[in-house]
Amino acid sequence: MFQAGLPYLILTTGLIVLMVGVSIHRSHQVAWSLTVLTLIATFISHFFVYEAVATDIVVITELFRVDSIAYFFNAVFLLATLVLVLFAQVFLDRRTKFTEEFYVLILAATLGAMMLPASTHFASLILGLEVISISLYALIAYPDHARPPLEAGLKYLVLSGVGTATLLMGMAFIYAASGNLDFSSIHITDGSMEGEILFLIGNTLFWCGIAFKLSLVPFHIWTPDVYHGAPSVVTAFLATVSKGAVFAVVLRYVIEADILSSDTISNAIMLIACASMVIGNLLALLQNNLKRLLAYSSIAHMGYLLIVVFLISVNTSLGYESALFYLVSYFVMTLAAFGVIIALSSKSETEVDTLNGISGLLWTKPAAGAVLIAAALSLAGIPLTVGFFAKYYLFTAGISEGMWPLVVCLVLGSGLGIFYYVRIIFRTLEKPQEELSVSVPWLGLSITVLLALAIIVFGLYPTPLVDLIRAILVFPPTL
Amino acid sequence: MDAVLNIPLEHVLFLSIILFLIGAFGILIRRNVIFVLLSLEIMMNAAALAFIAAGARWGEPDGQVMFMFILALAAAEVAVGLGLVVQLSRRFQTLDIDRAEELNG
Repeated sequence: MFQAGLPYLILTTGLIVLMVGVSIHRSHQVAWSLTVLTLIATFISHFFVYEAVATDIVVITELFRVDSIAYFFNAVFLLATLVLVLFAQVFLDRRTKFTEEFYVLILAATLGAMMLPASTHFASLILGLEVISISLYALIAYPDHARPPLEAGLKYLVLSGVGTATLLMGMAFIYAASGNLDFSSIHITDGSMEGEILFLIGNTLFWCGIAFKLSLVPFHIWTPDVYHGAPSVVTAFLATVSKGAVFAVVLRYVIEADILSSDTISNAIMLIACASMVIGNLLALLQNNLKRLLAYSSIAHMGYLLIVVFLISVNTSLGYESALFYLVSYFVMTLAAFGVIIALSSKSETEVDTLNGISGLLWTKPAAGAVLIAAALSLAGIPLTVGFFAKYYLFTAGISEGMWPLVVCLVLGSGLGIFYYVRIIFRTLEKPQEELSVSVPWLGLSITVLLALAIIVFGLYPTPLVDLIRAILVFPPTL
Repeated sequence: MDAVLNIPLEHVLFLSIILFLIGAFGILIRRNVIFVLLSLEIMMNAAALAFIAAGARWGEPDGQVMFMFILALAAAEVAVGLGLVVQLSRRFQTLDIDRAEELNG
């Protein structure tokens, strides 16, 4: 039964070996290779032990329950981290003298991200979340001579700390009301007035904390500054793996704790979702910095994803199907967009992240420009890209369940979104004013091209991805 | 012994809410990074106190287990935080969060 924990053990072993290795002998090349090897080994190990979770409910103490959905999330997180680690090698050399610890930290953050989709208990939730967050504080402030990263790191530390404290406070109140810490039994209160009130306060605080971590409106203030200040590799990790992991645990919490049966809570979540979709897109219209623009775009995308939370409580298997599809496509297009920024910034000390910086990119660096256009089209949800199918899933689901406020906001948000995504595309197509002097590393460029191909291929022919997700959902004990 | 155990749950929860709010206000109005980190610690410990009270209500050790977790988390968080503070003061000779403001727009 414990064989289902094998991927976690492999990642932890690789992490410890790397940590000890770095303290004995410093070598960027060795640390990088070891990290890539660990990530690939962990990824492959999922296939060997998949049988165990595909046929039986695997419970590892009361803290974790590993199922095929958790494995799917893990695989996606590992691939995303692998892509970023491949980018990081050239990127880091220009930014710091001490590159090795970066890999220790990013492996630790990945371990935290893998804990969350399997967690069934408040203790494992908070542990996984903090393993990600604390590694991220250091990762964000990693470059050792620039000022913005340090500032962003401190800002993230304080605001994410407030989020964690709020989350913990919520958990404490829920525990006071129900006497349970595992998701499946927290909604059983003693029925007294007092217990109900405690439960409601607890859940409000809990969702505020989660909204902080997912950067949903009105808890989104930190997002643009942190995205802007952090080195692009870390920003991409924050936007994809960290948010994906939090979302995975939110899905499980919603299903197991049956939280939406309370009208007050479900209305509040609906309000947060609508506000995120509209306000995220509105604020993105004003941005001139590509990373800030993507930050607001990610706020809106998290708002879209919250539709799944409602869907999943009425139709679990369709809900999971659209959630997994949306997350995969969000990962691919976000990584492609950040991949271009990372590739352009790799050989320079500062980040090439303004809209002026990408002016005429298609003519000066055709491959990078084309990838950026594909990513922007996909993020906007234009047909023939994977982003279109992801939105289509949410749209049809919203209509079939009659969730009108959410559907209206989805349409409104997507409409607003087209403006600023088209702005990116226009800037890319402009006549270049000056020759872009930066050179682009071949590895980074080929990865971004692969990601762009994935956007187009799954946009034309999503069946393989949908089939894979349906196969994953055949035997999850939660359905 | 009984007198100690008879503190009603509500009183402790109120105390923890007050501590939580003190921490939150501290973060909002203090400009010195050290004090902001202190306020963060107060917020974390408010949650820890609420866990202990809840654990006592149900007569279970779970609340205290969570308290230990929170203690460790807060320590790890502040350790990284102080590391960043050292960097901030060494490189920019300031502990003022507002003076370190370069990101906006």
